[in-house]
Amino acid sequence: MISRLIPLLLGVLFFHTTRAQPGVSQAQEIRKSLVRITCTEQDVDYKVPWNPGAVGGGVGAGFVIEGNRILTNAHVVSNNRFLTVERQGDPKKYVAYVKYIAHDCDLAVLDVENPDFFKGSSPLPLGGIPEIETVVSAYGFPIGGDLMSVTRGIVSRIDFQPYTHSGIDSHLAIQIDAAVNPGNSGGPVMQGGKVVGVAFQGYSGDQAQNVAYMIPTPVVKRFLKDIEDGRYDKYVDLSINYFKLVNPAQRAALKLPDDDRGIVVTSVAAAGSSAGILQPGDILLSLDNVPIASDGFVELDNDRIEMTEIVERKFKGDTVVFQLLRNGQPVTAKVKLKSAWPYSMQANSYDTPPRYVLFAGLLFQPINRDFMAAVAIDDLRTRYYYNFYITEELYTAHPDLVVLSSILPDPVNTYLGQFQGDIVDSVNGKPIKVLDDLASALAENRDTYIIQFLGGGRPAVLERSVVEAARKRILDRYNVAKEQNLANPPAR
Amino acid sequence: MTRHFFSIRVAVFSLVLGFISVALAEEKPVATGSPLAVVRVNGTTQAYDFFRPWGKKPAASKRALGAILPGNKVLVTAEMVANQSYIELEKAGSGEKVAAKLLAVDYEANLALLAPEDPKFLEPLSSLTIAGQVKTGDRLDVWQLENSGTLVATSGLVTSCEVGRYALEDYGYLLFKITAALQYRENSYTVPIVHDGKLAGLLLRFDPRSQTVESISLPVIQHFLKAAADTPYRGFPRAGIQFEPTRDPQLRRFLKLPPDAGGIYLSNIDANTAAAQAGLQKGDVVLSVDDQEIDPDGNYTHPVFGKISINHLISTEHYVGDAIKIKYSRNGEIKETTATASDRPPQSYVIEPYVYDRAPKFLLLGGFLFQELSRQYLREWGTNWQKDAPIKFVYFDRYQSEIFPSDRGRIVFISHILSAPSTIGYDQLSYLIVEKVNDHVIKSIADLDEALKTPIDGFHKIEVSDDPKVLYVDAHTVEADTTALSKQYGIPLTSRLKE
Repeated sequence: MISRLIPLLLGVLFFHTTRAQPGVSQAQEIRKSLVRITCTEQDVDYKVPWNPGAVGGGVGAGFVIEGNRILTNAHVVSNNRFLTVERQGDPKKYVAYVKYIAHDCDLAVLDVENPDFFKGSSPLPLGGIPEIETVVSAYGFPIGGDLMSVTRGIVSRIDFQPYTHSGIDSHLAIQIDAAVNPGNSGGPVMQGGKVVGVAFQGYSGDQAQNVAYMIPTPVVKRFLKDIEDGRYDKYVDLSINYFKLVNPAQRAALKLPDDDRGIVVTSVAAAGSSAGILQPGDILLSLDNVPIASDGFVELDNDRIEMTEIVERKFKGDTVVFQLLRNGQPVTAKVKLKSAWPYSMQANSYDTPPRYVLFAGLLFQPINRDFMAAVAIDDLRTRYYYNFYITEELYTAHPDLVVLSSILPDPVNTYLGQFQGDIVDSVNGKPIKVLDDLASALAENRDTYIIQFLGGGRPAVLERSVVEAARKRILDRYNVAKEQNLANPPAR
Repeated sequence: MTRHFFSIRVAVFSLVLGFISVALAEEKPVATGSPLAVVRVNGTTQAYDFFRPWGKKPAASKRALGAILPGNKVLVTAEMVANQSYIELEKAGSGEKVAAKLLAVDYEANLALLAPEDPKFLEPLSSLTIAGQVKTGDRLDVWQLENSGTLVATSGLVTSCEVGRYALEDYGYLLFKITAALQYRENSYTVPIVHDGKLAGLLLRFDPRSQTVESISLPVIQHFLKAAADTPYRGFPRAGIQFEPTRDPQLRRFLKLPPDAGGIYLSNIDANTAAAQAGLQKGDVVLSVDDQEIDPDGNYTHPVFGKISINHLISTEHYVGDAIKIKYSRNGEIKETTATASDRPPQSYVIEPYVYDRAPKFLLLGGFLFQELSRQYLREWGTNWQKDAPIKFVYFDRYQSEIFPSDRGRIVFISHILSAPSTIGYDQLSYLIVEKVNDHVIKSIADLDEALKTPIDGFHKIEVSDDPKVLYVDAHTVEADTTALSKQYGIPLTSRLKE
């Protein structure tokens, strides 16, 4: 069991809807606060990173919350270039913009410049977690309809689920049996006049029928609290792997009583909150005085839920306290929480154009999940480095895995084809940890640049005179708008 | 885990049928004034199942056409005899049969030498002498037998002689490429190829679309036969180097190489190999071998075959024990050294490149199945094993000389977990590499067996490289657990410590 789960289900995000169809309007109170969001988005192009990507768009839902703000899903407004919002009964489209966005929990807050937009609306109050088997109503604009749609369903499960938008995060989610469809995204799910969730993902029809998920209010409230200081700090994480202690021999060998309590720490990420505090082999008995069962669950709000939920409700800089056994001795350990940056490499990224360096027709890019999806890298070593980046802590030597992703053919690089897909290890003997290291090494004023790739094959040798002579030729021939983009490096 | 069966790569004969009309035009029956110099070879092979190492896969039969050589011997491809349970020779005309024994086999060069158990069996037949020389432009005959026993020859032109891949991924030797239109006949595992009635090659694979035969080449056969005369058989020398071309002018200037000379850049040198012992280092540029200049792509000029890879010179022209003179450049300085040609048996690798005729070692402890990692195990994922098998194992296999430069021993891992009382809570784990057991470093299944004799405080402590890092098994109950499991799952054997 790991504290962050790699998603197992292929969710469908309920966003894009293009087809309009007549709807039936019903006079409901909710209508005043429901918002139809039209997003014009632009993708990024990892294959030609200096190119602006394709423009597309879609319709999603949102709702008014206190402070004249609109709450919606991050995936409804990601990569947006232009946003408009509408309310039923007002024919006008209002320009909106993203004030805060949290890709790790798929939530966003929008502002509308024109305060007229909010006239007659009333902020929807946030409720708690609905009981299993109770009925909820989902509001939105499924299949692109202009008019509000309501569907009803039953709360069928409350558990951690992978959040498909980031692709790597898992948080609490509520499963509902309701017809929720694209266009419902960001819309409120109501019970007893209160918001109990934000509809956000489901399964495609060939995987499961009528199973949809909503983001429950603990996640929503956490997001709204996080942004109170004017900044979104992301989720924090223990950054440990732990293992359930249910095997009788294992418990006996560790001299644990047969009381179904305690889990063992198996690894502690060097880049995470627990580094230097927790150790592999530590047996965690309680977290913030809540006993930890041998399967990693805790009792919280009369529910059994994964221990992680206690951490999920905290913020950057908060601490948690473990009671643990280390070499049989009781120990108290305080962990100050922060986010675990290496995970972001394996998450979907949004709203940031690709970073890259083009040198002598060689395109260097740091690997991330979107890059791997867009650029087919067959190289076994590179695939290994990507897959084991976190578990083998490969990020310590290479926070960026900078690969030679493609080559714009030119006489200067005609013998360098073999290196395509390889990870840069050093330039002129200097280790390349991040893309900026590569950019500055290649900007040095020297006669020869020696690029060494991981695996220790022959170096790629580039002579400055040859590179300079080729430079304009390559830029013109391949219509390169800009030789590098180093902006917006991920926080580390 | 998806179940796949490994099948030896064979000529693509099943597709040949569509080309019969073309093929017929080039076929001719061979005049049989003298007795045939070929014999049918019938084999039953049964490979070990590396996913269930206590058992074997279903038996399969293969038919081949062996070339009879002087001295009562029959030459076939190694693919024909791999994992053989029984081999017999059959006279084409009479159908008379006799059991055969294996004299020598080389899976890397894909050659095997058989002899009849009854030495008189082949006496009425003639034998093939070895051809003198074959070169591009020669016409060769591919020999096949009709069901009636009539020998049919399909003539083809040798279009190139070059070093290429043989039956296994990592092994390349000289190949003859011959344009010929073959039709399917049942003895497809080995087909002799002759030049003027003398043995010149054995069919390695056939592509019906391009009508190209790739043939094990004469020099490789000659090398094998000469080496097979010695006991024990020591195969083809291996240089133990990986090299890269030096065509790139910018690289050449950096390496201080003259612009018009040749040379290959040594990108890796395997430990304990001829190259390492001769003092060669990564980054050296080898300029000549035995005074034969090497071009920037790694070719030398052979008097018969023209430009071919230096691999041929080292592996086939030389024999184990030969001295090989090497001239190389290090930082622009020209040096010379002598390497002693040595072979590299598969057992010398951390992860064996192939395992034939040998049973996989394993040990079942409670529900844990321990095995030694080999590429044969990875091949159980099927033809796409390099993508489908666990990426860490594939990575270890591919880069083993880089990752395990010293004596790592074997990689012992938990390949499968059978649900049992001892594995409660462990059942979601997979492919764990075992580092230590009861504080003993584990480099083989035998090490594991030894380590299990000394439990700690009544428990076996199993340390693995991945999470959860440490597993415990109750030493008192696990034996009973193993026995119960073997009954429950019908496992006839709970360990095999030796091959």
